[in-house]
Amino acid sequence: MAESKYVKSKIFFEEEFEEKLAEVPTDPKGPWPANDNLKIIGKPVSRIDGYDKVSGTAVYTFDINLPRMAQARILRSAVPHAKIKKIDTGKAESLPGVLGILSSNNAQEIKWFNTSSLFDTHLRYQGDEIACVVAESEAIALKALKLIKIEFDELPFTVDAKEAMGEKAPKIYDEGNIQGGKPFEYARGDVDKAFQEADAIVEDTFDTQVAIHNPTEVHCSVVNWDGDDLTVWDSTQAIYGVRDTVADALKMPASKVRIIKKYMGGGFGSKLECGKYTVMAALLARKIGRPVRIVVDRKEMNLAVGNRPNSVQKLKLAASKDGTLTAISHYSYGAIGGYEGGAGCSWPARQMYKCDNVKVEEYSVFTNTGPTRPFRAPGYPQGIFALDSAIDMLAEKIRMNPLEFRMKNNAEKHPMWNAPFTSKLLKEAYEQGAKAIGWDKRNNQPGADKGPVKKGMGMASQIWWGGGGPPSHAVLKLNRDGSARVIAGTQDLGTGTYTFMAQIVHEVLDIPMDKIEVILGDTAVGPYCPSSGGSTTAPSVSPAVRDAAENMKIKLLEAAAAQLESEKKNLVYVNGLISDTSNPEKKIDIPGLMGKMGEQTITTTGSREANPEGYITQTFGAQFAKVEVDTLTGKIKVNKIVAAHDIGRVLNRKTLDNQFHGGIMQGLSYALMEEQIVDINTGKVVNTNLHDYKIPIIADIPEIEVIIVSEADPMNSNTGVKGCGEPAIIPTAAAIANAVYNAIGVRIKSLPMTPDKVLMALNQA
Amino acid sequence: MQFSYIQPTSIEEVFKLGSAAPLYAGGTDLIGLMKDDIIKTDKVINIKKLKGLDKIEDKGNKGIEIGPLVKIADLIENETIQEKCPLLVQTAKEIASPQLRNMGTVGGNICQRPRCWYYRGDFDCIRKGGDTCYAVGGENKYHCIIGGGPCFIVHPSDLAVALLALDAKIEITSENGQKTVPVNDFFILPEDDETKENILEPGEIVTKIILPEQAKGFKTTYIKFKERSSWDFAVVSVAAVLKTDGNMIKNGKLAFGGVAPHPWMEAEINQKLTGLNTDEASVDAFTSSLFHNAEPMEKNEYKVILARNLVKRIIDNLA
Ligand SMILES: Cc1cc2nc3c(=O)[nH]c(=O)nc-3n(C[C@H](O)[C@H](O)[C@H](O)COP(=O)(O)OP(=O)(O)OC[C@H]3O[C@@H](n4cnc5c(N)ncnc54)[C@H](O)[C@@H]3O)c2cc1C
Ligand code: SF4
Repeated sequence: MAESKYVKSKIFFEEEFEEKLAEVPTDPKGPWPANDNLKIIGKPVSRIDGYDKVSGTAVYTFDINLPRMAQARILRSAVPHAKIKKIDTGKAESLPGVLGILSSNNAQEIKWFNTSSLFDTHLRYQGDEIACVVAESEAIALKALKLIKIEFDELPFTVDAKEAMGEKAPKIYDEGNIQGGKPFEYARGDVDKAFQEADAIVEDTFDTQVAIHNPTEVHCSVVNWDGDDLTVWDSTQAIYGVRDTVADALKMPASKVRIIKKYMGGGFGSKLECGKYTVMAALLARKIGRPVRIVVDRKEMNLAVGNRPNSVQKLKLAASKDGTLTAISHYSYGAIGGYEGGAGCSWPARQMYKCDNVKVEEYSVFTNTGPTRPFRAPGYPQGIFALDSAIDMLAEKIRMNPLEFRMKNNAEKHPMWNAPFTSKLLKEAYEQGAKAIGWDKRNNQPGADKGPVKKGMGMASQIWWGGGGPPSHAVLKLNRDGSARVIAGTQDLGTGTYTFMAQIVHEVLDIPMDKIEVILGDTAVGPYCPSSGGSTTAPSVSPAVRDAAENMKIKLLEAAAAQLESEKKNLVYVNGLISDTSNPEKKIDIPGLMGKMGEQTITTTGSREANPEGYITQTFGAQFAKVEVDTLTGKIKVNKIVAAHDIGRVLNRKTLDNQFHGGIMQGLSYALMEEQIVDINTGKVVNTNLHDYKIPIIADIPEIEVIIVSEADPMNSNTGVKGCGEPAIIPTAAAIANAVYNAIGVRIKSLPMTPDKVLMALNQA
Repeated sequence: MQFSYIQPTSIEEVFKLGSAAPLYAGGTDLIGLMKDDIIKTDKVINIKKLKGLDKIEDKGNKGIEIGPLVKIADLIENETIQEKCPLLVQTAKEIASPQLRNMGTVGGNICQRPRCWYYRGDFDCIRKGGDTCYAVGGENKYHCIIGGGPCFIVHPSDLAVALLALDAKIEITSENGQKTVPVNDFFILPEDDETKENILEPGEIVTKIILPEQAKGFKTTYIKFKERSSWDFAVVSVAAVLKTDGNMIKNGKLAFGGVAPHPWMEAEINQKLTGLNTDEASVDAFTSSLFHNAEPMEKNEYKVILARNLVKRIIDNLA
């Protein structure tokens, strides 16, 4: 039987490397063949939870309704910077139906962020939490919020990163507004020398906006105490993460906290960490002895549950005449809001291309604005927008086709660590993407089209992590009737985790899909799997499930040997039938075999193997955009996007396409429309609803063609899967920006590229 | 918010109720205003049960009468309107989304409140009785370029722009009787009253929109520039009613949305249309003279260019 061992394994999660001690299998299962030779892996399989979702029977966290459940809502700061002097909850408390109120008046001190607490009297942004009311209904809770009287001293505020970096800006922390007191710095080679020796240099400043995740399902939790045991239903990307934060906050053993999340309406990173609201609900539920539901509404979501920070990026790039990229200098800053976070966006500059001389200096700046949270490839869409815009400018300067320029500067080894990749098919992505879009028909002369509507084509590159890694575990149980239950402590954000777990069990054991039940999103039953961020879920979980299924096959063969009185070595497992090659009479199928065991189930476990030492696993790709720009209105219309990517093995072509379509739509929205707008005079957000915070409707979405150039990455894991959720969004904005330049001959260096900016740029050009 | 919901069945009943309560037609605007605490009230009067206000009637040479409770979607489907006033059909199709057009009424559309995000947000601005216009020196990308002060909204209604170009009239009924005013006089500028967008006084109801019989031989069009393909208010829109003769515009009218606190029409602009040659140079000269008196704010200068370009597009397309 498979035994496990313990190793230290490095895994890249969202923004940095983490080293974890992990239990991994001792008998790695070897790679699968190509998808053409597999039964269900890679096929366009409909979601096993699809019917429940479209028919409305799927119960989301938001829908949970427990007997005697009370409703909680949060009072938030209406101003960007203040010190609370007094909170008077008297009137609110006497409102009929109000069951309890928590604030700094009565709440125990619970540490939050590095610098703050659950109810901090120093309010650092519009939306910072002040109090939480629980009542018989949401309407009463909302009414009560209005009855709470706050006396506070308003403090001078700063909402602009550049201003906040300056000497005169109001200080949000005594140590100053630059997080850590200094920039993040990185250097390799000799940038100054490279610039001196360069044949061509481009230098420009690019800026990108603050974007809000705005998943369909709002953030919400339902909590219920049963004695000392706490159950939390939470719309989360990290059941284990929420469990640990809640347990630590309430000083409880982790074993007494259970987090459940069955269905979810998206997260995009905003639900990667436990929210204050969950802990507040738990405290109030304990206080009133009733289950509590807490909801963060759309407006609160647009203020207080994270964002993709803005960036201002000054880039300087150099090349030699032959098209060698010789230097990149990246200087940037961005606002991280009132609490610790990250506005870095230099990863692409450091590792997208082969370049011997690179220098980075970037600042994360405290401001009186909402907090940052990882947002689908944190730092990358903004970083690639600037870098790949500049790459196109540089290619033009040396009169080289930008595709050729990128090909020439493709890094064979990881440029920062000189380490080999487990697989890298970026060149193939460039080639196949270019062919699909018809790159050879691109305008040679930007802006050459006659008439007011001008067409153009552009491209950009993608790099990201997405290799996943251990620890990640799965449990598989077989029942009397040959049906299976596969369990993992992962979560499905709407991405298709349920479905691929069933597919893997089917692939290995031939158990029909409708006899496979998938249980995930429950810390009480599922063995640990990582948070669903960083495009790590499929690459981490799929190998563990396969391991469990292969281990099950071993057990079934052993059981069949006993039942058939055969020698194990003579038994084969084909299409769910075990037969004895030495005696054709002897055979048994899985329900038959399991039936012999009566009510006994058999159980196996599986785990994700360690990542290979000394290798880097990353995803790569390129997107190509065809656009038309109406020069009379400044409106950009995207007509087609081709996305060609290396993401390892495709598990399910349908859910893969969903990820790419969704990511590209979100990327297009980021490129052209969405933007949080903070009023500079009041420090308040003016667009906290989905009407003023503009995201595209389906009529704005072009044809999207997704090409996967990879078969699998067998060095990385037994399934060879790399993640695809984040790669999808990374190059979209840059590809559109380059296409816009190709169409009109004027470069838009600021996201989103709204009609007003385009029109003004055209009229100043 | 708690309020009593009153459902009168006759207009007389409405008058008896006293004056100050908001009227509820389709509710697509009113409910939002109430939910966002912009309108606070203890009484809401549902006017959907009032008889006879949901009809479109062809009155021959007296024009077409449109009841205020006619749904925007019904304008699009109505054969009389399709035949006699395609401009209104085209305009109605540009409004919001199918769901909103199914609920929203014509009366509600012209009486809807502005979309300025300060007005709709937690800002106690001039229009809400405060003493600051936050758009000044603030986020004024969508605000007006002409006719503003002390408030700088744009009027959000698409229909109003087309109705202005069509010389429509609005019938207003109150306890004291009826009056009929041209669209132009129905809407007001902030300098006259910065807390409302039209002349309606509490207790007055729009009971009819009257389209005069349209002169023959005119081409009409509505062009609405919005940032996304649908479900979006106009950044700038233009309704045009033009008569051409070969390469010349004989006469016509242009009404603009998105540029001013009310739908905007300038006699001076329309006069210049008369006899305008549609060759490129003449059209360019004409369009570049438009809104020369505009006073754009920090972030909306583009609207001047946009308005000019849209007119250019209209003339290029029509002529
Ligand atoms: C998301 C969204 C997008 C939209 N996009 C557009 C758009 O692109 N273009 C556009 O033109 N509009 C747009 N609208 C506005 C929409 O068209 C209006 O909300 C709708 O037409 C209002 O009609 P209603 O019957 O629902 O009015 P209600 O909400 O019932 O009333 C609106 C106002 O008019 C008053 N009122 C209603 N009827 C009368 C009457 N007979 N006499 C006097 N006062 C009256 C009410 O008291 C209230 O103040 C949009 C609205 C939303 C919510
Ligand atoms: S433009 Fe008018 S509605 Fe908007 S903030 Fe100024 S006063 Fe208020």
